[in-house]
Amino acid sequence: MQDFTRREILKTGAAATLGATVASPALLAAARAWAAESQWQPESGAKLRVLRWKRFVQSEHEAFMASVDAFTKATGVAVRVDSEGFEDLRPKAAVAANIGSGPDIIWGIHADAHLYPNAMLDVSDVCDHLGGKYGGWYPIAEHYGKREGKWINVPITISGNLINYRKSMVQKAGFETFPDNTDDFLKLMQNLNKQGTPGGFALGNASGDGNCWTHWILWSHGGKVVDENDNVVINSPETVAGLEYVGELGKTFIPGAASWLDGHNNKAFLQGACSVSNNGISIYAAAVREGMTEIAEDMDHAFYPVGPVGEPTEFHVAFPLMVYNHTNYPNAAKALTAWLMEKEQYDAFLQGSVGYLSHPLRAYKDHPVWTEDPKRLVFRDVAERSRSFAHAGSLGYAASSVFADFVVVNMIAEVATGAKTPKEAATDAQKRAERYYNV
Amino acid sequence: MTDLLARPPAADEGGMGYLESLPRKVVVVYIPLAIFIFVLLFPFYWMTVTSFKTNEELHAYKGLQALWIYEPTLENIRFLLFDTEYPRWLWNTMLVTVVSTFLSIFCAVCAAYAIERLRYKGSRTVGMLIFLAYLVPPSILFIPLAIMVFALGIFDSNWALILTYPTILIPFCTWLLMGYFRTIPYELEECALIDGATRLQILVKIVLPLSVPGLISAGIFAFTLSWNEFIYALTFISSAENKTVPVGAITELITFDVYNWGGLMAGAMLGSLPVAILYSFFVEHYVSSMTGAVKE
Amino acid sequence: MAAIGETRPVDQVNFLARLNNNRNLLGLLFMLPAAAILLLFLTYPLGLGIWLGLTDVKVGRPGRFIGLENYAWLFEDHIFWLSVFNTFVYTTAASVIKFALGLWLALLLNRHIPFKAFIRAIVLLPFIVPTVLSALAFWWIYDSQDSVISWILIEAGLLDETIDFLGQPNNARASVIAANIWRGIPFVAITLLAGLQTIPASLYEAATIDGAGEWQRFRHITFPLLTPIIAVVMTFSVLFTFTDFQLIWVMTRGGPINATHLMATLSYQRAIIGGALGEGAAIATAMIPFLLAAILFSYFGLQRRKWQQGGRDD
Repeated sequence: MQDFTRREILKTGAAATLGATVASPALLAAARAWAAESQWQPESGAKLRVLRWKRFVQSEHEAFMASVDAFTKATGVAVRVDSEGFEDLRPKAAVAANIGSGPDIIWGIHADAHLYPNAMLDVSDVCDHLGGKYGGWYPIAEHYGKREGKWINVPITISGNLINYRKSMVQKAGFETFPDNTDDFLKLMQNLNKQGTPGGFALGNASGDGNCWTHWILWSHGGKVVDENDNVVINSPETVAGLEYVGELGKTFIPGAASWLDGHNNKAFLQGACSVSNNGISIYAAAVREGMTEIAEDMDHAFYPVGPVGEPTEFHVAFPLMVYNHTNYPNAAKALTAWLMEKEQYDAFLQGSVGYLSHPLRAYKDHPVWTEDPKRLVFRDVAERSRSFAHAGSLGYAASSVFADFVVVNMIAEVATGAKTPKEAATDAQKRAERYYNV
Repeated sequence: MTDLLARPPAADEGGMGYLESLPRKVVVVYIPLAIFIFVLLFPFYWMTVTSFKTNEELHAYKGLQALWIYEPTLENIRFLLFDTEYPRWLWNTMLVTVVSTFLSIFCAVCAAYAIERLRYKGSRTVGMLIFLAYLVPPSILFIPLAIMVFALGIFDSNWALILTYPTILIPFCTWLLMGYFRTIPYELEECALIDGATRLQILVKIVLPLSVPGLISAGIFAFTLSWNEFIYALTFISSAENKTVPVGAITELITFDVYNWGGLMAGAMLGSLPVAILYSFFVEHYVSSMTGAVKE
Repeated sequence: MAAIGETRPVDQVNFLARLNNNRNLLGLLFMLPAAAILLLFLTYPLGLGIWLGLTDVKVGRPGRFIGLENYAWLFEDHIFWLSVFNTFVYTTAASVIKFALGLWLALLLNRHIPFKAFIRAIVLLPFIVPTVLSALAFWWIYDSQDSVISWILIEAGLLDETIDFLGQPNNARASVIAANIWRGIPFVAITLLAGLQTIPASLYEAATIDGAGEWQRFRHITFPLLTPIIAVVMTFSVLFTFTDFQLIWVMTRGGPINATHLMATLSYQRAIIGGALGEGAAIATAMIPFLLAAILFSYFGLQRRKWQQGGRDD
């Protein structure tokens, strides 16, 4: 999803990777004041172990580490933060739940807490406190965070994934603004291809970009993996209609998109080879950071076009803080998760994320990070617009597995590359999904 | 086996060596050999050069000659030793490797002695089974072992590795030591038995001293095998401070999308050094254990 | 023999003496440490793995017996078949080339050359250095933008743009195979060299006197006498290549679009990353028949050796 290019590495350098970041005096003072009043008083001698994803954005990581540092100094709770690559993090979270030991808090992905709800600490008091204080949670946060009326994780952020496009090329293809419906979008893509500046969307097993755009297409035509009762209904006329659209769309893609993973479109876009793709704000952020003004000025972001269903059908990647009930220091863990969402430091975290990460609490909608650069604005609303990856169905093992196994991504890719007909691909996906749901 | 390899290559060239002209030999032997050596060693050279380069130099090929270092830096080594848990991984690897090697040698000595010298009923079959056990690859065992490791409560601890590495090492060491024990004359043992020595005494006082080269060979090979092990450590270890060098290098030094090549290569180099140094002292033993395992 | 126990109680003397004389009992005792570890951590998990393949156990969820459902599912799973295909391509290509180059290197090293011992020692380095760490070096050598190979070729004017080593399916396959070959050549070469050195010089001398050329000497003396050891070396090589995990996991993790997934990496991907322990175990179990075939092949290779050398060496 995020792509750093060469010069960025030069700037940050090797040492920055794991170097501890120290809280500023102001942040420290805020943390002290907050800790004195906090309703969660850490157990004496409390120690916490946090496992989080590897940084995408250096400044976000620094802000996170600074606020953890402030927490430690204000409360005396030693916090050890480890980071892991994304692929490795999910199985570790599952194993920790399974064997009842491991990190106290894991910064996970999607709704993984729903795979092992019994291993999660009830954090309803933290979430209710935060929700009450900051204008309430967006529905998607509540959907992922709650199970059977109880909060089983604290939604920390959601990463927006939207259309990235080159203004000049889209205009040349006959569209003053980016199309807001799928019919015009297909025309645009066809024109772009004809004029020699094609766009492209990842068709490889790209857990971020691939899932985001393929779910959008599927839902935009009314297709879905399961219905409200968790019956697999992916092999439906709606899905086939969507896939027929994908068949046309796929012909317009830039060569190579078939094997794209998350980073490839960043690279192609920054090289000027790709006119339209879907991504987080990282392409733009990299272009700005590296002084690639031509691309930075000529690009912009847009919501996904709306399909025949007549409403936005977007999907964005949510991240929860999962507190395990095997922790020896539940109060300390709750205090830390609450602190991480408090304005005193969440403002800096959002600012450090430069639009890459968005807020699950409504009050942060007014944060200046969204308005100081108009090109970030669309990313402000992603929590409001995102659907659940399980969509109509319930969260749990089957939904997570179908998602993790790229059933939708593969189905779309098979049609987009012409490897299968829409009917064949939908039948195949039905079979794969049933395998997970029928267990 | 050592003697075979160290033997002067008297007739290696089929008695025709003296007939070969120098230019012909250059083309037929030296040039291909030089290419082999170049290709086999280049990755190490590249690893080392990268370890001492600054980031600027790493990514600015165009002007500079990439194959050499112009501003050598110790920054990558410093990063590794002070900003990561690398020293800890080295220690873990060393601990796990040494303990599992000694444990395996102990088990292998007893087993090889029993199979080869006691010749109990069925020892031939057991010998064959041990050989087959050597052929069972870790990649088909790691899943059930993971479940056992969870159940035993040793997940994410050195014990998980200390107890599982010997499954790779014991069959090999036993097989190798069987070959060595076989070469010790039975008469020695019989004399000792008549003098009233127990089997244990015979093993410790007669067989082992005569098998020192074999023990060293087995030990060296076992050491490199367990230093090299990856899939068990990747599966059974979770916390940063319990990892071994290979796993730490892969999971902790590789950052998402941004690759700190200098640090990674320094990690690869430092992690290779201990085995390389040990190997350099015991080349002959190592070679004899490797060829021995195949030739028996 | 009971003399050793003169000062001890009679029962104990008898027991110790019996023990010392009873090969079977003593053998059992000596076998105990190795047997305990191997039975517990090798034999049992081997069986457990086969059993798990017949269940739907997941991380965090006890499974139930589902018969051959995992296999039925895998049978229709094109990614599984792709991994089988990849595994065969990987094993075949890597083994054949390793053998050819390894034999060549062995023949070169078997000649009169200066610093022979030293050269042999450094040639083995790729084999002793941890695979994961050398794979990291290869990963860097194969970098899509800063590959040293691309750089050299571009500098030499042979190439206009960098090679996408690991990004395109066939490039990626060739690249990981090359890395595997690099690591395997020393093993093949050094073991075959040991074999070469056991061939009596007198055979060559006799052949030379009879007027045999270099190729004929190789064809009729070296190769037949080397065949048994080749069989064993190549069995090892095939087995370890077939079940390889490390190189792939470091460099591609099975990508791009599963083009380099081997059965071992797919098994890890599904079982550990995906949490489907039962399915992963089924994939691992599916490797066993191939391994058995390789072992049987080697076994008959050894039989042939006995038959061949029956009257001569042994």
